[in-house]
Amino acid sequence: MAVLIGRKVKKVYGKKSTAQEVLKGIDVEVNKGEFVGIMGPSGSGKTTLLNVLCSIDFATEGVIEINGQSLRGMKEKALANFRREQLGFIFQDYNLLDTLTVKENILLPLAIGKLPKAVAESRVKELTHLLGITDILHKYPNEISGGQKQRTSAARALITNPSLVFADEPTGALDSKSATALLKNLQSINEAKEATIMMVTHDAVAASFCTRVLFLKDGLIYSELYKGDKTRQAFFQEIMHTQSVLGGDGYES
Amino acid sequence: MSLSKLVFRSMKKNMKHYYLYFFALIFSVTLYFSFVTLQNNAEVLATVQKSGTATAGFEAATYILYFIILFFVLYANHLFMKRRSKEVGLYQLIGMTKGLIVRLLAVENILLFVGAVILGMTAGFFSSRFFAMVLLRVLEKEALVTMTFSTQALQQSIVVFAILLVIVLAQMAWMIQRVSLLSLFSASKQADERVKRFSPLQMMIGFLGLVLIAYGYYASTKLFDIESTGNLFVNMIIILASTIGGTFLVFRFSVAFIMNSVRLKKNGHLSVHDVLALTPIMHRMKSNAKSLTLITVLTGVSLGVTTLSYIAYYSSEASAYSQVPGDYILLEDNGQEFLQTLKQNNIAYNKVDYRLQAVTASVAQLLPKDQKDSPFYNMKGTIYTVPLSDYRQSVPEASMSGNDVILTNYGGYMAEMFPLEKDHDMVVTVGEHEETFHVIDVQDKSIISGIVTAGGGGPIFVVTDKLFEKLAKYSNESQWHKQTSITLKSKEDLALAEKLYRQSGAGVISSIDSEGETKSYKQASFEGKRKENIETLGITIFTTAFLGLAFLMTTGSILYFKQMSEAEEERGSYTILRKIGFAERDIMKGIYMKQAFNFGVPLLIGLLHSYFAVKSGWFLFGTELTTPLWIAMICYIALYAIFAVLSVGYYKKVIRESL
Repeated sequence: MAVLIGRKVKKVYGKKSTAQEVLKGIDVEVNKGEFVGIMGPSGSGKTTLLNVLCSIDFATEGVIEINGQSLRGMKEKALANFRREQLGFIFQDYNLLDTLTVKENILLPLAIGKLPKAVAESRVKELTHLLGITDILHKYPNEISGGQKQRTSAARALITNPSLVFADEPTGALDSKSATALLKNLQSINEAKEATIMMVTHDAVAASFCTRVLFLKDGLIYSELYKGDKTRQAFFQEIMHTQSVLGGDGYES
Repeated sequence: MSLSKLVFRSMKKNMKHYYLYFFALIFSVTLYFSFVTLQNNAEVLATVQKSGTATAGFEAATYILYFIILFFVLYANHLFMKRRSKEVGLYQLIGMTKGLIVRLLAVENILLFVGAVILGMTAGFFSSRFFAMVLLRVLEKEALVTMTFSTQALQQSIVVFAILLVIVLAQMAWMIQRVSLLSLFSASKQADERVKRFSPLQMMIGFLGLVLIAYGYYASTKLFDIESTGNLFVNMIIILASTIGGTFLVFRFSVAFIMNSVRLKKNGHLSVHDVLALTPIMHRMKSNAKSLTLITVLTGVSLGVTTLSYIAYYSSEASAYSQVPGDYILLEDNGQEFLQTLKQNNIAYNKVDYRLQAVTASVAQLLPKDQKDSPFYNMKGTIYTVPLSDYRQSVPEASMSGNDVILTNYGGYMAEMFPLEKDHDMVVTVGEHEETFHVIDVQDKSIISGIVTAGGGGPIFVVTDKLFEKLAKYSNESQWHKQTSITLKSKEDLALAEKLYRQSGAGVISSIDSEGETKSYKQASFEGKRKENIETLGITIFTTAFLGLAFLMTTGSILYFKQMSEAEEERGSYTILRKIGFAERDIMKGIYMKQAFNFGVPLLIGLLHSYFAVKSGWFLFGTELTTPLWIAMICYIALYAIFAVLSVGYYKKVIRESL
C-alpha cells in the first residue's frame, strides 16, 4: 500500500524572467514499511523534494498524496495539523528547542493533541528504550552529545506514530560512530514498528541502511536501487558505483 | 572599496536594524526639541514668567528629560550594537583593525544622528505647538499659540545632541575595544541560561523577594502615622530599598522559581502555552531581571509623581473651596458696598450669616485612645464655634441638645493624618469660663473661611444656640465674630461679579486680634483662589505629565525593543515548531501569554508600587485620591497596551516568516 504518492512534481523558484526549475517532474511512490533514501549531488534538488513532499514547501505543479489525502488545496492550519499528526521530522541540525528538556522536546508534538498522558508516557518509554536515551530525559539539549540530540529528535519524530517520517541528512552533523548507531536505530524501528521513513542523504553509508535508494540529478530521478536480499556491504558497493556513474561531486562525506 | 562606500552599503543592508535605533533617536530629539521650543514660545513665556518657580521647574524638567533621553539612547545603542556583533566580528575576521571598525561605525552613527536631529526637530517644531496648547489649556488661559521657530531652542538642542553623540560614540568604541573576536560571534547567545534544578537557597531568596516587597508596602502605609517614630527620611530610604530590592529578587528568582515548580508538576507533558511562554520566560529571567526591575521601578516612580501632581491639580478646586467655602466670603462687616453693587447690577445671590465665637480647646483629645502619648495630645488652640441655627441654613436637618457639639469643617491632610473620633468629651475654655463639650459627630463639610480657621480645613464646633449665647459673652476674646457667605444663583454672573469684587476692594480685610493689634488679611474669592491654584499647579502637572510621558515612552520602547530582539532570537524555535506541525495560530496563543507577562508584570508591579507610594502621602498634595489615581493609571495601562500590541504584531510577522 502506498503511503506517499508524488506525480509529476515540479518546483520552480523565482519570477518568470529568473525562473529556475529545481524539480522537473518527479514521480515517486513510497509503500508502507519502506525505508527510502534519496541521494544525489549538491543542487540536484534532494532537500527541495523532501520539503515539497512533506508540505513544508509548496509544489509548483503536480499531485502529492499522503495516505490518500492530497496536499493541494489544504489550508495552512489543516496542513499544520496534518504534519503534526501524520508526519515526523528529523533534521540535520537536530532542531531541538534549547529551553526544553529532552523529555519535553520528545513530547512537543503532543502539546496540542489530546492524547491521554498515560499513553504518551508509555510511548516515551518505549521509544527512549529503543533509542537508548532513557538516562538523559531530564537533561537539556546543551548538556548532551550530538548523537543523543539526534536520537532525541528521532524520538520526537516518532512519538505521534506517524504514517511517514522524513529525515533530512540526519547523520550530517554526526561522527561515523554515532551516525551508525542512529541509522541502526532507525533501521530497527523501521523493522519493529513498520515505520515508513524517507531519508535524504549524500552519505553512501547512510543510504546503505535503506531498503531502496533513489538517485536525483538535475531535478529528475536518475535511477533507483533496491536492496532486496543483498547484504548491506554489497548494497553499499552498488550505491558507490551508481554515484560514480552519476559523476559530479559524487562522494562528498 | 572605500570606507564611505562600505558605510553606505552596510547602512542600506542594515535598514531593518537601523530603523529601531533611528526611531529611538528621532523620538528623543522630538521630545527634547519640542520641550525646549515650548519654553521659548512667546505666549507660554508670558504666562509662565508671572510665577518665578515655573521657570525653575521648566529648567529642572529639561535636565531630567535629558537624562531620560541619555539613558534611552545609550540603551538603544547598546542593543543595536549587540545585534550587529556578527557584522563587527566579520570585519575583524577579514582583517580590519578595531580602530577602523570604530571609525566606520562612527561615520554611520554621525549620519544617523544628523538625520535624526533634522527629522526630530521638524516633528518637534510641530508638536511643540500642540504641547503649548495643552499647557495653556491646563492653565485655563485663552491665547492663540503661534508657531515660532526659536533659534535658541535650535542651538540648545544641537549642543545637547552633539554631546549625546560623543557619549554614544564613546560607548560604542568602548564596547568594540572590550570584546574579543570569539565573544562577538556568540554575543547574542550569552544571555541564555539553562535553568536546572532549583536549590533550596534560590527558593528562599525568591520567597524573600516577595517578603521584602510586602514589608515595603506595609511600611509605606505607616509612613505618615503620628506614632511612627524615627526619621522620616530614613524610613523612606528603607521602604525604597526594600521594594526595589524585592522587585529585583522577584524577577531574578521568584518568577523562575514559581514557573519551575509549575513545570516540574507537568512532568514533561507541556502545553503550547508552556512551550512558548513559560519556558522562554524562565530561561531569560537571569538576563532580563535587571532591566525589568529598572523598568518596573521607573514606571512606578513616574506614575507616582504624575499621580501626585495630578492629585494636586485635580484638587485645586476642592482645596480652594476649603479655603473659601462660598463664591465670596465676607468677614465681620466688610464688603457691604460689594453686596450693594451686586444688587445694582441685578445679580441674584444667596447669603448665609454665621456668628462666630472663639474658644480654646485641645482637639487632639479626640484622637484615638492609643495615641495618648502623642505630643499633640495636649496642644491647645483656638477653635471657633457656630450656633446651630446658623448652621441649619446650610444643613437643615442638623439637631442636637445640651452640651452636644458637631465638629465640622475638618478636612484636608490634617483629617488624614489626625483622624478624630466622635463620642468623646472635651473641655474647652473661653476667658475664665470652662465648658465640657460632648462631640456627637465629626464632619468634613467646609463652611468657614480658611482665614478664620487659620488654614483651610481647620475644625469648627457647631453648638446649640443656648450654649453659643453663653460663650458669646466673652466676644472680646474672639478675633472674628461674623462671616457672611455669598453664593451666586447663576454662574453666568460670575465674570461680572468677579470684576465688581475686585473693584470694591472687599477682599482686603482688617481686623483686631485678641491682643488688640490691627491685622490685615486678603480674602480671595473662590474663583480667584481656584485660578491661583491652577496657575501654580498647572505648570507642575504639565511638566510632570510631560516627563511621565517621556518615561513611559522610553520604558515602553525599551520593552518593545527587547521583545523585538527576543523574537529575532527565537525565530529558529518558531521554524522548528512550524515544521513539526504547529500552526501559526497555535504559536500565537503562546505569544499572547508571553507578551501578557512581559508587559503585564512590570506594569502590574509598577502600578502596585506607585499605588502604595501615592497612598502613603497623597493627602499632603490634595483632597482627591481615587479619580486622579485611576485616570493616571488608565493612561499608563493604555499606553503599555499599545506597546504590547505592537510587539505581538512583530512576533506575528516573525512567526509568519519563519517557515
